[in-house]
Amino acid sequence: MKLYEYSACELSEMLRAKKISSRELTESVLDRAGEVDKKVNAYLRTDREMSLRMADRADKLIASGEAKSRLAGIPVGIKDNISTKGIATTCASRMLENYVPVFNATVIEKLESAGCVISGKLNLDEFAMGSSTENSYFVTTKNPYDLSCVPGGSSGGSAAAVACGEAVVALGSDTGGSIRQPASLCGVVGLKPTYGSVSRYGLVAFASSLDQIGPFGCTVKDVALLQDEIQGHDKMDATSADRKYASLLDNLNDNISGLKIGIPSEYFGEGIKPEVADAVMKSVKELEKRGAKVVPVSLPSTGYALSAYYIIACAEASSNLARFDGVKYGYHAQNCDGLIDMYEKTRSEGFGREVKRRIMLGTFVLSSGYFDAYYKKAKLLQKRIQQEFADAFNSVDAIITPTSPSEAFKIGERTSDPLAMYAADICTVTVNIAGLPGVSVPCGYSEIGLPYGMQIIGRKFDEQTILNLAYAHENAFGGFRRPEL
Amino acid sequence: MDIDIRHIAKLSRLKIEDSELAGYEKEMSDIIAMVEAMPDISDELTVDPENAMKLRPDIIGETKITRDEILKNAPKIVAGCVVVPKTVD
Amino acid sequence: MIKGYEIVVGLEVHAELNTKTKIYCNCRNSFGLEVNTQVCPICLGMPGTLPTLNEKVVEYAIKMGHALNCKINRICKQDRKNYFYPDLPKSYQISQADIPLCADGYLDVMMGDGNVKRIGVERIHIEEDAGKLLHSDKFDGSLVDFNRCGVPLIEIVSRPDMRSSDEAKAYLETIRSILKYIDISDCKMQEGSIRCDVNVSVHKPGEPFGTRCEMKNVNSFSAAVRGIDYEANRQIEILEAGGTVTQETRRWDDQKGISVSMRSKEDAQDYRYFPEPDLLTIVVPEEKVIELKNTLPELPNAKIMRYVKDYGISHYDAEMIVDVVEKSAFFEKCIEAGCKSPKLLSNWILGEISKFMNEGRAIEDTKLTPEKMSELIGLIADGKISTAAGKTVFDIILNEDRDISSIIEEKGLAQVSDDSALEAIADSVLKENEKSVSDYLGGKTNALGYLVGQCMKASKGKANPGRMKEIILKKISG
Repeated sequence: MKLYEYSACELSEMLRAKKISSRELTESVLDRAGEVDKKVNAYLRTDREMSLRMADRADKLIASGEAKSRLAGIPVGIKDNISTKGIATTCASRMLENYVPVFNATVIEKLESAGCVISGKLNLDEFAMGSSTENSYFVTTKNPYDLSCVPGGSSGGSAAAVACGEAVVALGSDTGGSIRQPASLCGVVGLKPTYGSVSRYGLVAFASSLDQIGPFGCTVKDVALLQDEIQGHDKMDATSADRKYASLLDNLNDNISGLKIGIPSEYFGEGIKPEVADAVMKSVKELEKRGAKVVPVSLPSTGYALSAYYIIACAEASSNLARFDGVKYGYHAQNCDGLIDMYEKTRSEGFGREVKRRIMLGTFVLSSGYFDAYYKKAKLLQKRIQQEFADAFNSVDAIITPTSPSEAFKIGERTSDPLAMYAADICTVTVNIAGLPGVSVPCGYSEIGLPYGMQIIGRKFDEQTILNLAYAHENAFGGFRRPEL
Repeated sequence: MDIDIRHIAKLSRLKIEDSELAGYEKEMSDIIAMVEAMPDISDELTVDPENAMKLRPDIIGETKITRDEILKNAPKIVAGCVVVPKTVD
Repeated sequence: MIKGYEIVVGLEVHAELNTKTKIYCNCRNSFGLEVNTQVCPICLGMPGTLPTLNEKVVEYAIKMGHALNCKINRICKQDRKNYFYPDLPKSYQISQADIPLCADGYLDVMMGDGNVKRIGVERIHIEEDAGKLLHSDKFDGSLVDFNRCGVPLIEIVSRPDMRSSDEAKAYLETIRSILKYIDISDCKMQEGSIRCDVNVSVHKPGEPFGTRCEMKNVNSFSAAVRGIDYEANRQIEILEAGGTVTQETRRWDDQKGISVSMRSKEDAQDYRYFPEPDLLTIVVPEEKVIELKNTLPELPNAKIMRYVKDYGISHYDAEMIVDVVEKSAFFEKCIEAGCKSPKLLSNWILGEISKFMNEGRAIEDTKLTPEKMSELIGLIADGKISTAAGKTVFDIILNEDRDISSIIEEKGLAQVSDDSALEAIADSVLKENEKSVSDYLGGKTNALGYLVGQCMKASKGKANPGRMKEIILKKISG
């Protein structure tokens, strides 16, 4: 077995037992990327020299006993919308093609001080806007289980890289499902943490009130390991929650006896492929066998969540992306006739079509005369959805739904129909709208071997319960199956 | 619902070519049609005192990035300043 | 009132706060440093950066709210105001829209005639300043200096309660002195640390308010006065000619003394305000709000009214003393130390004390104490020493820690009020100036002044001039 094939937790022990070095591991992972990324296109950028330098540093830390973190020496892939000092951070946009940040995101600072190795920067839909990675300005990432299919998105690069061993674990970001949906489509585990539990400082904002950085791994334990490292209060992020964060990995427990699982009928009906719903319900049955109690719950406003989501997300995006104006950084159009022309040319040439559409939608819903009809209504609906979840969590400990209404779809199949593309998020957006934690775990495979994902949603800051359920499920289901490439 | 794409594009500082106009109009109208199915909620937006933030103490930070470094991503620099087309007011 | 029209003025004052750091990042908040050296990724709006709100900004704004008798919205939020301009790195300004930190207050302003005018304050909110654009004819383009980005501002919006440029000026000056008194702003107009936008409309008394125009780029209080008068006249001329005033934003050109149209109501910018998602709710504890109120000093406008009423000082003098915190503090300490004549004291503060303060010397840098100043004022008021002798004493106690009585003794400065000594001087002077005596008796009343002067000279300045005059009069009218 090659090193890249082990889980992060296994590798962590091997590193600390000095059975392997971080350099060997990093080389194995980068070699694997060199071998398969031509087909998968998960990475936008790798820098072998830099990664090996970090690996050598990690080896020194481990050798001297200074490595405090269990993640020391582990190569982590980073979604390319997370700011890395001295390493281009493009958001898969022409706008930031040559942008090199002068500062690290807080999560990167944390990983660096833990002694992690950055394996490279991973592909995404431009500015994290999309559900297929097809909106990347540079390249479309392929689904490692079927190269003619999308890996999901927007963190498609992160999900695909972890699935094929091009990164041991990876960071993604999730605004409406951008971690969970690609995790589901690529058969890996992806956690969208509670809003406020991971610092957003350095995450290039799409929708500030919904964005959250989170981990990808092949196993639930790996996800817990990475989440332990990145969670915590950050005074640089005013929306970060100032509270105590216990280790999720240390408290991971597959004894789920007595836990109550809510099943909302709204997530199993129209728009959800029956095979997916069946796979999820089969897994729920397994959990029931292991002592969990299954209770029907109702989340009646679910059908409107996608609308509320697009209004809130696009409104914020229209403002967040206004800073890309060709003045301070990023793409700058040539031959402009005055200031306004410079703005318009720069932004029209620098942004892709999906980004422009969302900016315009956001501008429209905030514009004079429309604010009440759209933005205000969406925010009120958000409150209602939050309340419905709160009511449901009075009687259950977790809620289980499909992650994505279907398995991975074909590349190009939905690019001309935004609404069809947006439908990929119908099960995941509510979790962002409500600020809750949600994890996607693989729960079955289609006839041709494409993964199905199950989403487990928890109370605010109760990542432990959903990870315990995911862990119990993983043990019952049999865990990760590496795609053959 | 008709959306004045040109006006919205102007507010967004985006240039929409004539050939793109119909496409955007169609897509935006479809999305707006979906969005308009949202139920009316007769309530007002309020600020939530439970969702309070901690304020930052007024202490000058130590970390200093040099001017050259912080402006290195700017397209054009003259005399330590970023350059833009001439502004009137 | 001009040509039968009433003028209505409302003002929006932007004041930069003198906190140590900027409003949303820990960059130094200071003026005049080299371009683009007081910036960080946050105030440059680099991708991924986030704002954190400076607690002092909230406290300073609440202080101003209390000073202007506002209701404090201790639970409020911040909003984004979206517009593109090169001096605004994020292309939105973090400000406050529907819930300002302070609202519904008022300010009492004493006018030159002693009447008090109450001006409503609609709101005070906190926001960030933008950078600066630099232009040069030699260069085809504009340069951006981002140092000022994120400097904290409060915007104070008055109600349209002012009826003349004089009232506007009095309002602005009072606002400025309050900002200085509660020490939340440096109020340096030339450095742009206090700026204002002016709203003007005109109407015939008894008729509804006219259409208003907003004037931007008003960079000094005197420019505000000129701008208001110009704008009122412009509108009146339009109405008199049978036209209608159009609602618009105009730009004041102080050099040319005219305003020019910037944009009409139709092109009004659509700022697309919405709640700032990077910041959560601002919640100031009730106790903090009260504490900030309790620590507020007596405000200059109240002080002026008190000085006029309690001490009989002219409104003008009271304003001059109150204008400088150090002067009014010294004034009050002297009163506390038992100063007999507040009127005389105010003359000395505006005279001798202001003189050395203007040279850059502070009272605390001298040996002058309120006790000594009061003693000196008392001696002059009682006629124990002359004003001229008082100046001699003052110059000494300014630099040396000495007893006033010993100085008077040493320099022989005591005024002679003893009648027999004064009569002896008068007799000899009258004898030597018989012509002046006859002039006076012949109706030339100013000859009396000459005679008193001669007596003062003969006494080497020690004679009490009042008593001397009485004695001379008695003798010649005899």
